[in-house]
Amino acid sequence: MKTGFLVLESGEAFEGVLHGDAETVGEVVFNTSNTGYEEIATDPSYHNQMIVMTAAMMGNYGESNEFWESEKIWIKGFICLEIQNTERDASWLNKLINDGCPVLSEVDTRKLTLTLRDQGTVYGCIVKSDTESEAKSKAQDFFANKKPSAGDWTKEASCSTPYTLEGKDKLGLKVALLDFGCKKNILRELQTRCREIKVFPSDTKAAVIKSYEPDAIFLSNGPGDPSFVREGTATVKELVGYKYIYGICMGHQILAQALGGKTFKLKFGHRGANHPIKDYISDKVYMSSQNHGYAVDEKSMPSDTEITHLNLNDNVVSGLKSEKFNCASVQFHPESHPGPHDAVNLFDYFIEQAQKC
Amino acid sequence: MAKRNDIKKVVLLGSGPINIGQACEFDYSGTQACKALMKEGLEVILINSNPATIMTDSELATRVYVEPLKVPYVEKILEKEKPDALIPTLGGQTALNLALELDSQGILERLNVELLGAKSHVIEAAEDRAKFSEVLDRVGAHYPKSVMAKSFKQGIDAADDLGFPIILRPNYTLGGGGGGVAYSMEEYKVKLATALHESPSSEVLVEESILGWKEYELEVMRDKDGTFVVICSIENIDPCGVHTGDSITVAPQQTLSDREYQAMRDEAQKIVNEVGVETGGANIQFAVNPANGDRVVIEMNPRVSRSSALASKATGFPIAKIAALLSIGYTLDELQNDITKTTLSCYEPALDYVVTKVPKFAFEKFHGAKDQLTTQMKSVGEVMGIGRTFKESFMKCFLSLEVDQTLFDDVAFDEKKVSYPNSQRMYYLFAALNKGYSVEQVSKMTMINPWYIEQFKDVVDMKNALKPNCLQDKITLRKAKRFGLSDAVIAEQIGLSVEAVRKARWQLDVRPKYYQVDTCAAEFASNTPYLYSTYWSDPDAPTFNEDTVVMLGSGPNRIGQGIEFDYSCVRSVFELQNQGYKVAMVNSNPETVSTDYDTSNILFFESIHQEPVIEILKQINPKGFIAQLGGQTPINIAPHLLAAGFEMLGSTQKTMDLAEDRGQFIAVCKEFGFKIPKSLMAANYSQAIDGIEGFGYPVICRPSYVLGGRRMEIVENEEELKSYFTRHANYISESSPCLIDQFLERALEVDVDLVRSQKWSLVGGVLEHIEAAGVHSGDSMGVIPPQRLKKDVCEKLESLSLALADRLGIIGFLNLQLAIKDDEIYMIEANPRSSRSVPFICKATGIPLVSLGVQAILGKELTDEQLAKYKWNNGQKTAVKGVVFPFKKFLESDPILGPEMKSTGESMGRGDDYSEALLKALVSSRFTLPKEGEVFMSLRDKDKDELLESAKTFIDLGYTLSATGGTADYLIDNNLDCTKVKKVHEGRPNCVDRMRSGQVAIVVNTTSGKQSIEASFGIRRSCTEYSIPCLTESDAVKAFMLALKKHKTGHFDVYPLERSL
Repeated sequence: MKTGFLVLESGEAFEGVLHGDAETVGEVVFNTSNTGYEEIATDPSYHNQMIVMTAAMMGNYGESNEFWESEKIWIKGFICLEIQNTERDASWLNKLINDGCPVLSEVDTRKLTLTLRDQGTVYGCIVKSDTESEAKSKAQDFFANKKPSAGDWTKEASCSTPYTLEGKDKLGLKVALLDFGCKKNILRELQTRCREIKVFPSDTKAAVIKSYEPDAIFLSNGPGDPSFVREGTATVKELVGYKYIYGICMGHQILAQALGGKTFKLKFGHRGANHPIKDYISDKVYMSSQNHGYAVDEKSMPSDTEITHLNLNDNVVSGLKSEKFNCASVQFHPESHPGPHDAVNLFDYFIEQAQKC
Repeated sequence: MAKRNDIKKVVLLGSGPINIGQACEFDYSGTQACKALMKEGLEVILINSNPATIMTDSELATRVYVEPLKVPYVEKILEKEKPDALIPTLGGQTALNLALELDSQGILERLNVELLGAKSHVIEAAEDRAKFSEVLDRVGAHYPKSVMAKSFKQGIDAADDLGFPIILRPNYTLGGGGGGVAYSMEEYKVKLATALHESPSSEVLVEESILGWKEYELEVMRDKDGTFVVICSIENIDPCGVHTGDSITVAPQQTLSDREYQAMRDEAQKIVNEVGVETGGANIQFAVNPANGDRVVIEMNPRVSRSSALASKATGFPIAKIAALLSIGYTLDELQNDITKTTLSCYEPALDYVVTKVPKFAFEKFHGAKDQLTTQMKSVGEVMGIGRTFKESFMKCFLSLEVDQTLFDDVAFDEKKVSYPNSQRMYYLFAALNKGYSVEQVSKMTMINPWYIEQFKDVVDMKNALKPNCLQDKITLRKAKRFGLSDAVIAEQIGLSVEAVRKARWQLDVRPKYYQVDTCAAEFASNTPYLYSTYWSDPDAPTFNEDTVVMLGSGPNRIGQGIEFDYSCVRSVFELQNQGYKVAMVNSNPETVSTDYDTSNILFFESIHQEPVIEILKQINPKGFIAQLGGQTPINIAPHLLAAGFEMLGSTQKTMDLAEDRGQFIAVCKEFGFKIPKSLMAANYSQAIDGIEGFGYPVICRPSYVLGGRRMEIVENEEELKSYFTRHANYISESSPCLIDQFLERALEVDVDLVRSQKWSLVGGVLEHIEAAGVHSGDSMGVIPPQRLKKDVCEKLESLSLALADRLGIIGFLNLQLAIKDDEIYMIEANPRSSRSVPFICKATGIPLVSLGVQAILGKELTDEQLAKYKWNNGQKTAVKGVVFPFKKFLESDPILGPEMKSTGESMGRGDDYSEALLKALVSSRFTLPKEGEVFMSLRDKDKDELLESAKTFIDLGYTLSATGGTADYLIDNNLDCTKVKKVHEGRPNCVDRMRSGQVAIVVNTTSGKQSIEASFGIRRSCTEYSIPCLTESDAVKAFMLALKKHKTGHFDVYPLERSL
């Protein structure tokens, strides 16, 4: 057992027990889901972020690759109160350590969460140290030299070359998916409803996508600040009006930008499995899975765009559509993993709308 | 959208007296609902027969009816009140069943009353096994497969389909008689044959076993627009096979992956929609096969339940309140989140802590009952612990249980006690780990998920690793506290005193931090001070709160200390607030109103144990604490709190000691002319024999230091005395001698509750017991105003009681139990605190006795004029206290009444006269009152003359008589028609056969002496099994007779409670 610290760029330090040898830096964000630690850690949208789990007990049900949302662990650090540390096989703790992800446990995660909530998301680094002062000086080096630079992170999370997936519905649509760091379950949900999906890297030119002659276009989730995703936005701008487009999370933000809107950074983001959504299309209220640090600025949207979903906790725009350009998107995660399945029929909505076009 | 405006007046049904499976959680839910609906401007009519509830306080609703929850009474109330609607989903199974009856008899339709929350087809779809199975089929959910076998062959065929083990449930047998579990074909054949034989209809339900599967419960809510939220997921540590009420449970669930959990959530949503729940709360129980993840649905309740109270306390989401508001038309997104005040009620609480619930059992009260946990609930109460981690929360529960044991005691190890579920299992499981059993072994033996066993092992290892030098080692000491080890356990391990551990902790600043239950894991700001302690954070600096009073609650419900004390606590909180104080409430019982976040100004959800309470006092430095409202529990810890330097409000410790120390107390009583039953202390049999010569038999024997009459027996002769000393040898010694009191046979007993300040005092009421001395005061029925107590004796005992209170220096409450024999007043017992009878007295007299007691404690001056309006014997209605027993759950235990308390709850009957009040109290206590049939009598000699008149009255009322041996001869000699039947040992058919074959309507069975009691147990057991009213005391017979007479007239009325004075 080693003592370690999470040092925030704003100056606070949180002591804990450090597992593994890695020392890292990343944006510190908290997630309030009770389950789904593996889905979270392997979600590419968490690229360059450290995750604080507010639920107290981690690793309880071990680990299994079937829960992974991508091929690797994306988070830069796993911060929690208690993590199961036994010789039982398939330990989540061991998985993280072996994948080079530092785990800082026995952290006062509530205090940390209150700090993040009150002052907003900041960078932090996990370092091995016996004393707080040493930790802080080590951290200075990380903040100065190793912090990921602002930019288009979707390029790092996206596939490098296009690939094709066979769908299960032989009579279904052929869909082009722009991969900003796509979760596997988006692909799974599409596969059950489509004939074929071709996944393209996030900086693919519109012409390349058009040459595939898709029936519809899907924009995936992904990490980072959407305003830096210039190539992706340019591609989507060109595709708007070409075929039906649907976006999730980063895809939603990119679509908003492509339609002329702006995004902004939320103080501490939305990450959890219990956010209420008001869906004005179905006139229903349901629970959603959320993971985003940026949101679409309602006022920036052109008047012909309709706000279709709101997050009822803070009235942040959670979905939009444009009749004029045949596109729609949601900020939250209908593919869940983790989280409730209440919104999964948005995939059906996508298919229906795409078929209408 | 929004509130319906066609509903102006609603009737809310309560759940009646407390019994096993339906306890004060429904006071909590009903009280929340009343408050919410009143606030909405509705007229609320509340019906509940339980006087010990907060909800039945007259100001909680527009009108309160303390009347039986039975169709005729409720029908009459509905006729009088003409409400628009009735809410049946907040009063447990009682209210739900009652609503179904009202509906099926066409009463609701006739009176144009709408059912809110759950329509009857919804209730049926969830409650009717066959209909519910259809629902599950329609949504594609699985449930344990079962076949109704009507022949041996059918049974054998079914076995192939079901696979072993198989559960056998013979149809129409009581208490699962003749059923069981078969693990092999061989065993199954034998059990099947027996089961078919035992079932009167020769039908056996053979069911796929899910023993050992993981068990879960989801607490869900739905509004009329279909918004669905899971408030809480609860995981049972005890796998399937143990009733969820008897299981140790954890929230949120800990061992399901997101995928498994979400699939369960989806299924719950489908079921709720398919059953047709329109609005409100529901719970659904699931079982998951740990081997392959297969999931089945066990059951569903379309109403607020015990677990929804737990879920509300665990998450901060006020399920009952929101359910009430949804039922009148609101939707979840229209209601604010009460805790954060910044978000809405359409969300699923996120927890950044862990909650554990541990049940409290009372097997020791029911001699002969097997300590086995099965699918039938047996626990009488529960505690909840909130901690940042599972270990912290789990260990808190065991501090709250108020037992002498700790999990680390060196128990006489027995593998069977680990393998088979029983109330002591956790102690044996810890012992197994301590002995070096591996996680895998223990997990195999118990079928408990290894994750939990690992957690337990961490705690055991931590404790064993502690050395005396840990008191200088902040990191280790803090870790020990984080793992939930109490100071006492640490002290024991390192061989030092509790005080030394505490001192060291404080020096190292190892104190708890108080964190908030905020529903959202800190995601949103929240100012509601609903707090729990944790050592997982650095402590805050102590604060000073001169305007705050700490109110100590009564901990888990148990027999002898239940909802009555929560009533006193909550009323006190309200009065303290009236008087301008802030109140910090401390309690660990999740079923109560006192642990609702909006009852007090600050809620500490903590054990009523000296360690956590001292920490709270140190943290907030209040004006003082009040210990006299929460029953015996706070009284017991008060000396520790005083020793730690905190101030107790009200009677001083010296006063408490004076009242509780037998020797000092007797001396004081004698000054006042109270008689004291002669008594002696004997360390052994020969001392007892010598002493008793001084006053003769019968005597009451009990070991020192007992609560609620444990091991207390009436001893009639020398032989029985010898037997008593033999049987209780383990509890009697020089240091803990046996107390032997002269027994005042046939004396009239009364409870007196009074309050006193320095300057004034007041008798709140004199509650006359219906049964004679010898029946525990908690088990005897009672009546206000007294019916047999002479006026002059009553006046004398009132003035003596007040004078005694002065002499003792009582500030606040005093309860006296007195016996009157030959006009002499005997002092039986004094309790320098609010008592079990206080809520009943408040309701019966309209005197706000708890408020007055609090005013006394605060030194508020009341003038004679002000006091003059509080006259307890003021010509109000006659009120009878009825009693409810759990004997059906403990069939092996004798239901005879005696000096050891066994009842779980009370009812109140109010009437224009004694008979009407009696009738209602009996009906509310779930007595059946047969209007005709055979009365079987078996009387001890002493009672024969006494009950001859009653026997005659039975005949006059049209009943027939039967009796055994001596009783029959006696009745026949006195010219009464009586069928003589055989005693059990005289061959068959005998009296018990007669009862079992349904020929007996009422049983009168008075008996005394250990031998005769044992010989007649079969009679009483049959009464319990077949729900035949069984009267075991002569005064009770007379009272029952009065009620029967009244019942036969068919006349009764219903009366709302008068406003409190």
